[in-house]
Amino acid sequence: MSSATIDSTNTALRDNAGVAEALGRNYSAGFVTEIEMTGLPPGLDEETIRALSAIKREPEWMTEWRLAAYRHWLTMPQPDWAKLKMDAIDYQAISYYAAPKVAPKSLDEVDPALLETYEKLGVPLHERAALAGVAVDAVFDSVSVGTTFRKQLAEAGVIFCSMSEAIREHPELVQQYLGSVVPTGDNFFAALNSAVFSDGSFVFIPKGVRCPMELSTYFRINAQNTGQFERTLIVAEEGAHVSYLEGCTAPKRDENQLHAAVVELVALERAQIKYSTVQNWYPGDENGVGGIYNLVTKRGDCRGDDSKISWTQVETGSAITWKYPSVVLRGDRSVGEFHSVALTHHYQQADTGTKMIHIGKDTKSKIVSKGISAGKSNNSYRGLVKVEKGAERARNYTQCDSLLIGKKCGAHTFPYMEVKNPSAIVEHEATTSKISDDQLFYCRSRGIGEEDAVSMIVDGFCKQVFRELPMEFAVEAKKLLEVSLEGAIG
Amino acid sequence: MSQPASVPFVASLGDAALPASGIAWLDALRREHLAAFAVAGLPDTRMEAWKYTALRALGQRRYANGDAQAATRAIDMAAFALPGVDGPRLVFVNGVFRADLSALDALPAGLTLQPLVQALRQDAEPLRFALSRHEPERGDAFVRLNAALAADGVVLKVAPGAKIAAPVHLVFLGAPADGELAWHLRHVIELGEGAELALVEHHAAAGEQQHLGTLVGDITLRDGAVLRHVLFQQAATGSSLIRHSRLQLGARAQAMLHVLELGGALVRHDLRVELVGDGARLDTRGVFMPHGRQHIDTQLAIRHQGLNTTSDSVWRGVADQRGRGVFRGAILVAPGADGSDASLSNKNLLLSGQAEIDTKPELEIYADEVKAAHGATVGQLDERALFYLRSRGIPLVEARALLTGAFCRAVLDDLPNAALREHLTGLLAVELPA
Repeated sequence: MSSATIDSTNTALRDNAGVAEALGRNYSAGFVTEIEMTGLPPGLDEETIRALSAIKREPEWMTEWRLAAYRHWLTMPQPDWAKLKMDAIDYQAISYYAAPKVAPKSLDEVDPALLETYEKLGVPLHERAALAGVAVDAVFDSVSVGTTFRKQLAEAGVIFCSMSEAIREHPELVQQYLGSVVPTGDNFFAALNSAVFSDGSFVFIPKGVRCPMELSTYFRINAQNTGQFERTLIVAEEGAHVSYLEGCTAPKRDENQLHAAVVELVALERAQIKYSTVQNWYPGDENGVGGIYNLVTKRGDCRGDDSKISWTQVETGSAITWKYPSVVLRGDRSVGEFHSVALTHHYQQADTGTKMIHIGKDTKSKIVSKGISAGKSNNSYRGLVKVEKGAERARNYTQCDSLLIGKKCGAHTFPYMEVKNPSAIVEHEATTSKISDDQLFYCRSRGIGEEDAVSMIVDGFCKQVFRELPMEFAVEAKKLLEVSLEGAIG
Repeated sequence: MSQPASVPFVASLGDAALPASGIAWLDALRREHLAAFAVAGLPDTRMEAWKYTALRALGQRRYANGDAQAATRAIDMAAFALPGVDGPRLVFVNGVFRADLSALDALPAGLTLQPLVQALRQDAEPLRFALSRHEPERGDAFVRLNAALAADGVVLKVAPGAKIAAPVHLVFLGAPADGELAWHLRHVIELGEGAELALVEHHAAAGEQQHLGTLVGDITLRDGAVLRHVLFQQAATGSSLIRHSRLQLGARAQAMLHVLELGGALVRHDLRVELVGDGARLDTRGVFMPHGRQHIDTQLAIRHQGLNTTSDSVWRGVADQRGRGVFRGAILVAPGADGSDASLSNKNLLLSGQAEIDTKPELEIYADEVKAAHGATVGQLDERALFYLRSRGIPLVEARALLTGAFCRAVLDDLPNAALREHLTGLLAVELPA
């Protein structure tokens, strides 16, 4: 599908009534005819990969790259060190290329529960349809927000396109950087992703350019179904700046149970990359049935001196989250940051954290992780701070706090600290507690209901992380936690 | 990993002669454990518990099992006396009990203290549970090896309500022999309800040697029992010492543990504490100071199981030269263990570019009425504090020693035995890197 399907106008942004009316209309029947083919049958072997690569009209080197990753993957065992209970995944039962699905034709065909959630989250009307997977009429496209953005980006020299397009249009850049941060054989899921990745985003900010907009804004409206094996590569050249937001606060419908994405960030000298994630995939029902397995490898490489990479994540969805956005601090004086809120409820399991590898001199890293466990869920922070011999005066500060809501959940902290340089300072602090009765009593004595009081306290608990999110998402993230925690109290 | 049998260490000990007790269940148990050890071999660094302690070098060594001449080795016990520790004494040299060096006359009422061999001869049945308890799957290679080859050890019992005033001194000496020896000891210690005991576990060297000692111990504190345990380790710098202790606390029982790890080439201490009874309390204080090429690894795991249990742990590490300090401090609060209050702090000083500290504080919490916190740091002396001292005319070397000393002393501050505290504090100052 082209981006035109879910664009909207500036006018529409201001005029929700008009949008609602437009959304309510039925689409002309021919709209979903862009489907090119019917997808590959389930199964994975070299032929599948060749076929996938052919469908995507990839050059020979890309096919070979995928095959090399696949051959390596075959030699690897699935990791089992995370604190996760996970059913065995049958990799032969998955279809590695699915044809775009027939979209619901209007919001009327969408599950009312989903619409109710959007209402609670305050998702703008014109975005609801896109999120629910409704193929939005091209009526918005006339002065499309997306088009305006694209023009602006092109003027600045920024390349922002799908990975498939980048492989075709900018092969030299892709060849130079793809797999340079997360090598194909890095880990089991990264190897699988390298072999079968479906699509994703490619961002290239040339030397000295400050990306004229938060790519989040663009992405949110133009987000396409990138499939279950997403591959993202962001390269910021010398002195470039970019802020990128992935995902969405609103629950996204998805038929795929396994998501194994790889995200690579490259920051050259003085470049800065800020990567924010709001992840709210389907977490399974109250009894732990269904839900997405989100097994992701994310890594940033501060390759140049004085570069900076910062990860911010709000993780509330998925039945299983296995994710450790990391930063390799190679350049001198480079900075890595990780801010995370992970909330689990019902039977969700999250094993998430970060790795900060200090290699350059005077490198700094900061980790703030907030875990909230409710229901019968388990929420683990797992992190590594490693200071190599040459990392003179490296500095790390880590703070991990966990909040327990209920008697049957678990909150765990597994920080690893490996220090080989005597001028480094590494600090780790962690606490685990429940919402204090005193705080709750105070709120309630001021006439605030229990649920509201809890969400107020949770919001305060997470504030340090929300501050790092782009503004409109910070507001939504707060509401997202409220909605996710519904029914957790009492 | 290569075949266990091709590893010299496993080959040299995997078919060692088993100690014969004449007790059918015990001999069978020992056979099983040795066979299991020979098959499984040594753990490698891919195993989480051994991630930071590689056993490759140990694996290349061959040890003779046991010391046939231990009984005749000349030892001057005066060299191992500790101030403030004047109670009964049990001495082992290269893993062999030496009655001539021990002081077991006139034991205070309520205290039973004897070598394991003797206790087994009298009545093996009461020890059967404890000796069968370290199942191979929970233990590792060394627990298996110990279960197979430990002929002797300490059996200590305090009768319910008995309060033993004078601290009991357990001395484990490594003495030079013709070759490199492996020795093994197995302890069973039990404090009855309301009993009180002070215990000093003392590892020392009667001359430089490169022996390997393994010690496995079970300490059980019944309801209301109080144990003050000092573990002072100053083994020979070439020797290896692998300890595995399990400490279980009943309701309102209290254990206070002070650990000083100074000696040894490869030192590993697995300490598992279970706060089973309601209101149980554990305090651990420890300092490890690897320098030279020492490798000191402490694995502390505390399980809160009863209601309203408390644990408070303060550990300090100082790594200098090519020393490597490894610390894991894992706190687990079991489901339903409401009212648990757990805190752990591990601060480390890294004094050399060749030294390394690997620390891993862990929290695993399954109950919500809890307070749990941990903190860990790795760094160096505060430049401002150093500057302050130097501006007062104290030379750099002294200023560093003062601050490092203060950094470590925190762990000894609340040691109740004043004479011992003073002695150990003085010793720390001597051992501190210049």
